[in-house]
Amino acid sequence: MQIMINGNRMEAKEGQTVLQAALANGVYIPHLCYHEKVGAAGKCRACVVEIDGMRGLQTSCSVLAKEGMVVNTQTETALQAQRLVIDLMLSTGKHDCLACEQNGHCELQDAAYFLGIERPSILYADIDREIDTTSEFVHVDRNKCISCGRCVAACNGTVVNQVIDFGMRGHSTEIVFNTNKKMADSTCVQCGECSQICPVGALIDKNSIGKGRIWELDKVSSVCPYCGVGCKLELYVDRKTNKIVKVEGAEDGPTNDGMLCIKGRYGYDFVGHPDRLKTPLIKENGQFREATWDEAIDLVVSKFSAIKEKYGPDSIMALSSAKVTNEENYTFQKLVRTGFQTNNVDHCARL
Amino acid sequence: MVDQNLEKKILELKNKYPRKESALMPALMLAQKANSNYLSEEDIEKVSAIIGVPPGKSYGVTTYYSMYNVLGKVGKYHLQVDTNIPATLMGALEIVKHLEKRLGIKAGETTPDGLFTLSTVECLGSCGTCPVIQVNDTYYENMTPEKVDQLLESLKKGVYPERAVEYNYGTACNVLLKNRGAKDATSIATYQANGGYKALDKALKMEPQAIIDEVKNAGIRGRGGAGFPAGVKWGFLAKNTGKPVYLVCNADEGEPGTFKDRQIMEYDPHLLVEGMAISARALGAKLAFIYIRGEFGWIADILEKAIAEAKADGKLADLDIIVHRGAGAYVCGEETALIESIEGKRGQPRMKPPFPAVEGLYGCPTIVNNVETLASVPFVVEHGADAFKKWGRENNYGFKLFGVSGAVNKPGVYEYPMGVSFKELIAAAGGYKGKVKAAIVGGLSTPILKVEELETLKMDYTSCEEHGTALGSGGVMVIGEEFSIPEIALRTIQFYAHESCGKCAPCAQGSHTVVLILKKLLAGHGEPKDLEILERIVNTINVVGSTLCPTGQAYAAPVKAMVEKFRGEFEALIK
Repeated sequence: MQIMINGNRMEAKEGQTVLQAALANGVYIPHLCYHEKVGAAGKCRACVVEIDGMRGLQTSCSVLAKEGMVVNTQTETALQAQRLVIDLMLSTGKHDCLACEQNGHCELQDAAYFLGIERPSILYADIDREIDTTSEFVHVDRNKCISCGRCVAACNGTVVNQVIDFGMRGHSTEIVFNTNKKMADSTCVQCGECSQICPVGALIDKNSIGKGRIWELDKVSSVCPYCGVGCKLELYVDRKTNKIVKVEGAEDGPTNDGMLCIKGRYGYDFVGHPDRLKTPLIKENGQFREATWDEAIDLVVSKFSAIKEKYGPDSIMALSSAKVTNEENYTFQKLVRTGFQTNNVDHCARL
Repeated sequence: MVDQNLEKKILELKNKYPRKESALMPALMLAQKANSNYLSEEDIEKVSAIIGVPPGKSYGVTTYYSMYNVLGKVGKYHLQVDTNIPATLMGALEIVKHLEKRLGIKAGETTPDGLFTLSTVECLGSCGTCPVIQVNDTYYENMTPEKVDQLLESLKKGVYPERAVEYNYGTACNVLLKNRGAKDATSIATYQANGGYKALDKALKMEPQAIIDEVKNAGIRGRGGAGFPAGVKWGFLAKNTGKPVYLVCNADEGEPGTFKDRQIMEYDPHLLVEGMAISARALGAKLAFIYIRGEFGWIADILEKAIAEAKADGKLADLDIIVHRGAGAYVCGEETALIESIEGKRGQPRMKPPFPAVEGLYGCPTIVNNVETLASVPFVVEHGADAFKKWGRENNYGFKLFGVSGAVNKPGVYEYPMGVSFKELIAAAGGYKGKVKAAIVGGLSTPILKVEELETLKMDYTSCEEHGTALGSGGVMVIGEEFSIPEIALRTIQFYAHESCGKCAPCAQGSHTVVLILKKLLAGHGEPKDLEILERIVNTINVVGSTLCPTGQAYAAPVKAMVEKFRGEFEALIK
């Protein structure tokens, strides 16, 4: 179908909201509570627009596009409302972009940039909320929280851990963990979904703090090495040192929809660890020595061949791992059946 | 402490509702009562486990509603003084000062012996009988310093004094206040002796659609404040969905200046029950709810008694009515927030669409109507739409309750035809008390009118609109000459900032910021840019859709009007 946005005819798909259609056509409308994974909430009111035939302002995140709809995202009334929302959020929180970890990766900053808000101008509130640094992996700074509710929706609806909720009311509203416990004392399992979905610097990965700004990092797609689910990852790698400083779940990951567990998201320190094996080791006289792959494989082949020769193929049994991919498991059983010539092959996930 | 006995009661509550989560709020209230009016973390966790909801959800609920005491213990007697606008206009601040002096504590503190906690609270729905003090669950109205002394002496001895309330009321229509003053007015015997339940008998013989048509033809507009035609709303009900239909009565009367619905519920509960029975038949609802604000605990008891009486008398053969008590949240007067609250959640508005008539309570088609609207239905059905339309004019038909408070000699509730002149209404309320400078005529969320603007005002939707305000809930607050409008504006916005649900950013942060700006002005530190920023906020939020629900406009419109009409008083505060 076709709709008009800001005087331009644009293509929209059935079931798309006005915001989705606008974004798909390269028209930015500030939006903070909407995320494709948790859907529209109508909470932040930053995405308000005017639509012909509809009264007042409409949240573009919730109105479905209709054939022939005439949308204006930049009328003075809409812009004034958008600006007020962003200005109030900046003014009633501590969003110090210069030192904030999210600088360059912050949706509130994007909105302020778009609307030309250089400095907050409604400075009356005195905000001083305690920062919760108790948990191992997530840094919680409620001074930067804009109560968009994405983390609450994600914790309850996406990963269904049911830890985060809203407590208090009005401008005192804040996110709470269980019955307002510190994050470390709560039932949080540190999956980090909240940190990934947070549009600002309120929930951030603790281990990444100070390790580099977003523009200094290269984004590298990969697959999680921990288990057979095969979650798709985005590694953020420091260009200069070639070190991973942060991991996010890829939102287009077919098996994980952006979600990760504690290991996949935060257990990447082994990658650059000095104790990590870089070559095969062969034990001789009770001591390991470094070897080449050819040397190691030759040794393994000769040892297995000798066993097979002496005791027969069925004297060998092989067990593969759920941590590797289906393809690797397939190759492994092929090796065992055709190379070792035994059907004694199994998989740890069957235990 | 949640002991076995209490656990049993909570399990019973769970079975009372179609969904277990609805039992959460009443269960938490039971736990609080069992623990000296305090909810501990352990209580919350235990109740959550029994109901089967995550503890975070319950914590969110307890800290959302003002009647749960989670953040601190309170004394044996929690003295809560309403200091909202009508109360302020009628001397509540002197009562607070007197209590502070007598108890030797400030508001928000507890006496060292743990006997009294003093709090100032927002509107208690007793605007006609201010000043009012709520002691735990009991209201003491029309308070004076002498009565406060007697109250304290009695409480020290462990005795709640008898509630003695003298209300002013009057009726020119004899419908909604017909049974006021009758002996045993709340009993079914009295109600029936005065002709009650005849409309229900008639309705039971009518086709449901015929009832809907009659209500539609009467053109009765919703009496809660928004004024949407009730019959049209009923017409939106989704049909043949295979889901149950629910009727919900909105008895969360919380708009400051409004104290009309309680008159019906407290003195003529069967009128509401009959109205609900007829409406439920029209809509095909087998289960109905009355969502009543938590502070009106004794009125909820009256309603439950009336429902039991009607049930025993065979009047509710095909209908169950559950009285569900709120726990202190103005926003629950908004219909989707009210539905969320019945579902055991933080009472915050939903996005619309879907509208409740399509997807409301428990995702089922639901009609939410105000008490006064439902109480008007028996008349419409018994006497017909034309009889109803004898009062008022097009778009403004029927009778209406008006609550008058503030600077009048006989504050109270008066039943008049729609379109009664403001002057006549004030005359019924005993005339102005002293010199008057302005009035707010439709509840606190409607724009203020200067005294000269009131001269030509008629109390109906059209005339109010022509005068730049709204009829709202018909709560009239008359402001005496001695009051400063910036101070009234501050009390207004403090109420909305306190009650803003916090779901949408501009309402929560905007209201709080306006409070801070007005405080700065009134403290004598005002700068010209402060007033500019204040106007920028209220002008922007006054646009429909800038906030999730009408609460944003509910504070933007009145504050905007106060600044525009009394600019001199605001500018005088700027250096």
